[in-house]
Amino acid sequence: MKRTALNLKWNALKLSGYETILLGVFVILFVLFSLTAPNFLSPVNLQSMMVQMPEMGLIALGLMVVVITAGIDLSITYLAALSGIAIAWALSHGWPIPLALAAGAVTAMLCGAFNALLIAGTGVPPIVLTLGSMILFEGIALRVTRGGSISGFPESYYLIGGGELGPIPVPMLIFAAAAVLTAVMLNRTAWGRSVFMIGNNPTASRFSGIPVKSVLIRVYLFSALMAFLAAVIMTSRYNSAKVDYGSSYLMQGLAAVVLGGTSISGGSGTVKGTVIGVAIFQILSSALNLYSISPHIVDVLMGAILIFVLLVDYVIKLRKRMVRVKATDAAVKPPVSA
Amino acid sequence: MRFLKSKEGGIFLIVLLLFIVLSFLNPVFLTFDNLIDVVQTNVVLGILAIGMTLVIIIGGIDVSVGAMTAAVTVLIGKFMVGFGYSLPVVLLLAAAGGTLLGAINGFLVSRIKVQAIVVTLGTLSIYSGLTMYVTGGVWINNLPQSFIDFGRIRLPGGIPIQIVFLVLIALFTAYLLKYLRIGRSVYALGGNMRSAERAGISVARVQMFVYSYMGFLAGIAAFVHTSIYRQVDPNAFNGFELQVIAAVVLGGANILGGSGRVSGTLLGVALLALIGNGLTLAHVPSFWHKVIIGSFIAAAVVFDVLQRRRIEKQLVKIDVLQS
Repeated sequence: MKRTALNLKWNALKLSGYETILLGVFVILFVLFSLTAPNFLSPVNLQSMMVQMPEMGLIALGLMVVVITAGIDLSITYLAALSGIAIAWALSHGWPIPLALAAGAVTAMLCGAFNALLIAGTGVPPIVLTLGSMILFEGIALRVTRGGSISGFPESYYLIGGGELGPIPVPMLIFAAAAVLTAVMLNRTAWGRSVFMIGNNPTASRFSGIPVKSVLIRVYLFSALMAFLAAVIMTSRYNSAKVDYGSSYLMQGLAAVVLGGTSISGGSGTVKGTVIGVAIFQILSSALNLYSISPHIVDVLMGAILIFVLLVDYVIKLRKRMVRVKATDAAVKPPVSA
Repeated sequence: MRFLKSKEGGIFLIVLLLFIVLSFLNPVFLTFDNLIDVVQTNVVLGILAIGMTLVIIIGGIDVSVGAMTAAVTVLIGKFMVGFGYSLPVVLLLAAAGGTLLGAINGFLVSRIKVQAIVVTLGTLSIYSGLTMYVTGGVWINNLPQSFIDFGRIRLPGGIPIQIVFLVLIALFTAYLLKYLRIGRSVYALGGNMRSAERAGISVARVQMFVYSYMGFLAGIAAFVHTSIYRQVDPNAFNGFELQVIAAVVLGGANILGGSGRVSGTLLGVALLALIGNGLTLAHVPSFWHKVIIGSFIAAAVVFDVLQRRRIEKQLVKIDVLQS
């Protein structure tokens, strides 16, 4: 019994070939930056990286689950912003913290349900529907905040974003818990297996008796949950809520998901890969910041990295295909007799 | 009657209804100045939406349009400040710059065969990052007087010169889609990529053309935009791609590809323009604009999908009866 439990654990930590390469890239970059970037290894920098990473990481986890079903959720960052604004509104109106968090969670779930019901119920392409809901959520958020920010929270609320448990910041713990939860949900539940099957082949999934609609609904609710967690960390860390908090995480989060090996056309993806992808983006942006490179050039580099990753992925696939073609050629062609 | 039953007809009726309601609600709406103003402020949206129509017909998407347009406004702004203004040179520069940026998208989409959304998200980040880096976010103000004069030209009847660009581009693109070989290939590709390939159409070449054409129109749009506002704001097009895509989708193009028309897209632009103008004239706070436009897009696509499904069901029925 003990042995199987141990085996299970090892399986969960095992990396695929691509993930090993990715981890290698991370380690190489980390060593490189430790040696060259000023103060990269300083406690302050390590601490701030661990506080920043969870926000984008949570958005990336939410996006990943949607991308595995061959969908996309463009509204996720504004959903997070709106949920954060609900929390901020409640806190600044003197609601107790648990109740304010509940208000944020309910807001996130309502927005998620809006996406989920329309996408699963009618079969609208997720990209257009979430484009519409993105503008909608942004509009509502603007309406509530009137373009400004909401602040004035009780002291104890800052502990979520600023607190620490030993050397580890609380946001990191939330992210770790969310990552484990996502991995368990995807790999150990019937829902998780269905998510992959729908991404691979929605028609076959339907004919094999998978309740596609209810699985999809839970996918978008799950991504809304991740957005809510990101919103909690963001509001607590910035000590306020505003419409455009976190809006840059959509591009970065999607890039991290793709970098982590999730196929944008659906059907595959791992939490491990996404976490490493997020970590790579985080140390990159921190190091570029420490080199005091203009944030605009950082944007350029992030875009370039995303495209570069796709290029590498393409070349690898192409080589695999060529090997396969050669193999079948050899099998089909009769040996040429002299 | 056939027109009214078509998809464009339905949108036309909505636009017409909105038009009538607005003219009753607000006396300012139906004045010549207001209408010209509405058209002029939406010329750029119209030009970009026409390009996006082709992209969406082939089942692609280009979220870098805003960034491309902004990049070209900065390019021609800097050029004019440095070297002065000459209509053919600046127009050519805008067109060439835009086409180059679009061709980069086209190359990545057609050769590397990654979903257009991911490629253009990447180039969006690159183009806008470079634009911001070059300008530092600072506006370019001191454009040559001759260029400013050009932007003020009005045709007989008081029609601004910028509208001419939109009309020419709309007519040419509609002609291209309907009568030219490349236009027919665009529809073929959107209908069924594999069949198109088997029918001898080079998928990569059509994709390359469509994304380059999008870039070309972004360049022209940048020129037109600068001639209207007479200054360059590097941030002017942040998030503009969403409006462009919204106009095309509202205009009846299928986001999954295969269908879409220039006339529909222009109606989609008109719809967005009228909603915006109507809300402004009615003094609705700008916060509400996004709420209303967002709901409109969601409602339009849901309606579209439901209607398409109904038609499909009818088709299946016919099949069964015939066999």
